[in-house]
Amino acid sequence: MEADTNTPTNPKRVLCIEDEHFISELYARALTKAGYEVDVQLDGQKGLAAAQTDRYDIILLDLMIPNITGIEVLRTLRDPRQTPRMHARIIITTNLEQREDVRADIEQQADGYLVKAEITPHELVEFLSHLDV
Amino acid sequence: MGYFEVFLRQFRARLFLIIFINNALIVADWYIVDQVVKLTGLWALAAIVAMPLITLGALPFMTASTLAKPTKFLWQAILHIAPNTANSVGAPKPEQLGLGRELVTNLISQIYQLASVVQTVEQTSVRAAQDLHANFIANSLPLPLLVLDKEEKILYANEATSKYLGRSASELTGQSVYTALDMSFQRDDTLFGWLKGSKGQAVTASHKWERVRIGLPGQGDSLIFDLAAYYNQNNSLGYETLLVLFDHTEVYAQDDQAMSFVALSVHELRTPLTLLRGYIEVFDEELGPGLSSELKAFMKKMDASAQQLAAFVDNILNVAKIEDNQLTLQLHEEAWPSVIETVVRDLSLRANVRGITIKTDIAADLPTVGVDRYSIYEVLANLLDNAIKYSKGTSEIYLTAALNTDGLVETSVKDFGLGIDASILPHIFDKFYRNHRNRAQIGGTGLGLYLSRAIVDAHGGQISVFSKVNERSTITCTVLPFTKLQEAGKTGGNPNITRNAHGWIKNHALYRD
Repeated sequence: MEADTNTPTNPKRVLCIEDEHFISELYARALTKAGYEVDVQLDGQKGLAAAQTDRYDIILLDLMIPNITGIEVLRTLRDPRQTPRMHARIIITTNLEQREDVRADIEQQADGYLVKAEITPHELVEFLSHLDV
Repeated sequence: MGYFEVFLRQFRARLFLIIFINNALIVADWYIVDQVVKLTGLWALAAIVAMPLITLGALPFMTASTLAKPTKFLWQAILHIAPNTANSVGAPKPEQLGLGRELVTNLISQIYQLASVVQTVEQTSVRAAQDLHANFIANSLPLPLLVLDKEEKILYANEATSKYLGRSASELTGQSVYTALDMSFQRDDTLFGWLKGSKGQAVTASHKWERVRIGLPGQGDSLIFDLAAYYNQNNSLGYETLLVLFDHTEVYAQDDQAMSFVALSVHELRTPLTLLRGYIEVFDEELGPGLSSELKAFMKKMDASAQQLAAFVDNILNVAKIEDNQLTLQLHEEAWPSVIETVVRDLSLRANVRGITIKTDIAADLPTVGVDRYSIYEVLANLLDNAIKYSKGTSEIYLTAALNTDGLVETSVKDFGLGIDASILPHIFDKFYRNHRNRAQIGGTGLGLYLSRAIVDAHGGQISVFSKVNERSTITCTVLPFTKLQEAGKTGGNPNITRNAHGWIKNHALYRD
């Protein structure tokens, strides 16, 4: 099922929780060009708070972030008691390698798992366009 | 010691008797000839001389053996304890003895006693020599030592072995060495294979292996040691194979720490790599159209290099996982042509910047395969990457896929470049193999093929290479059709099959996960 493409009146909103400023800059640039509205959070706690407002359609979540781990954020966002409303698709973007069991666990909770070094910004946009949002 | 005096007395008496009889006979003879028969002259002389002659002839003849009997029995007794005498006569009965009975009896009984003592000592020392448990060297050796019989069962394990393995000698004895020591080797050269080869061909043989493992990495504590073996075919006691273990667990286990080092390094490498690839894409798209064709080509090459670097970082990581038995594969049903198309598409930039085209020939109606998509992708990517590297100057690489006669899906990557020298061929799947004479040729195959073999093995397939120097190389790998995988695994319809990929070769041919 094809996802809705971005329209000027109904852009998809993306929250990028990423502490590497250069990377978030590249991603934000490509996503904005593709018509998304992008917010960037460099801090884990602030990112979690922003995500819990349920304003975003897509959340790009890095695993190595300050003050709280990406895994913790993921768990909190997926816990209905702590995050009662969460309609966004959560995509893990990371350069960390996990043990297989940890990765499987993460993939179960998230809607996607990407290794940043293996995709370019455009490929990320391509990937998101196929998400069912 | 009075026995000899008694004997002497008896001997003197006998001798006296014989001489007396002899003289009496001569006197009687004279009397008969002279006074009774009254012979005279020459007849008388002849008759008188005849008697002593007769007795001289007869008496010694009749008495010699009696006088000599003691000596005979002594001689027999000595022969009895002399080694290697075929006729060993038992001790004589007292009735057989006559002259010097006490002396001979005493001496002979001492000799026969000595004989049985000697026999006992001999038997004891032979048994002691055969009994390894009583052998000082075997028992005191601070290294684990095992002795195997013709069927590779453990005949003897010394104390150091029991301590090392944490099992008593009685538990180990009688077991097959392969069951007792679940060994894994770094290469195809295993104990099982070497013994098989030696039994057919050598009278004696010895061999050593480095970094042999008991227990697989990642599965709890394992022991890592160097192994030395000595084989001899004709040992009379059935001690056919001797094994000695040199433990290096602490030293070699430190290499396992490498995993966290690798994980950290991979993360640090990937961050700038992400940025490089991102900026290259931006420049290629936004600056590209304004650039000269030469500069555009440079952009493409930059992109290809960044991809290559990312792929190599993946290889490092996967190899480290394999070493740590952490590379877990989830086998699913996949369409093989789609996997191939993805790989070929991803590698085409790297091929094209070198003027190489990847041509595919995929058989129609291939069955679905049971593979872990991510790792089998790594295998194909590595094979294509190698082909690109070896293609110096040539312009085509062929990738073919078809069902082979064994019903397996066989994929081959063929290049027409440098080829691989026959002396190197057996080693190309080894990690880091470097042949100092062919350094220029080998650069870069250290990890990719090692990784590919481990992954293909874990899929239940096989990988092989054919090459002609300066002509071509073909690397072929097989994977199982999904239906065959289900049969083999008896998974009862479970679509997920989990495997572990590792670089260790199990000891014997029975291993098939």
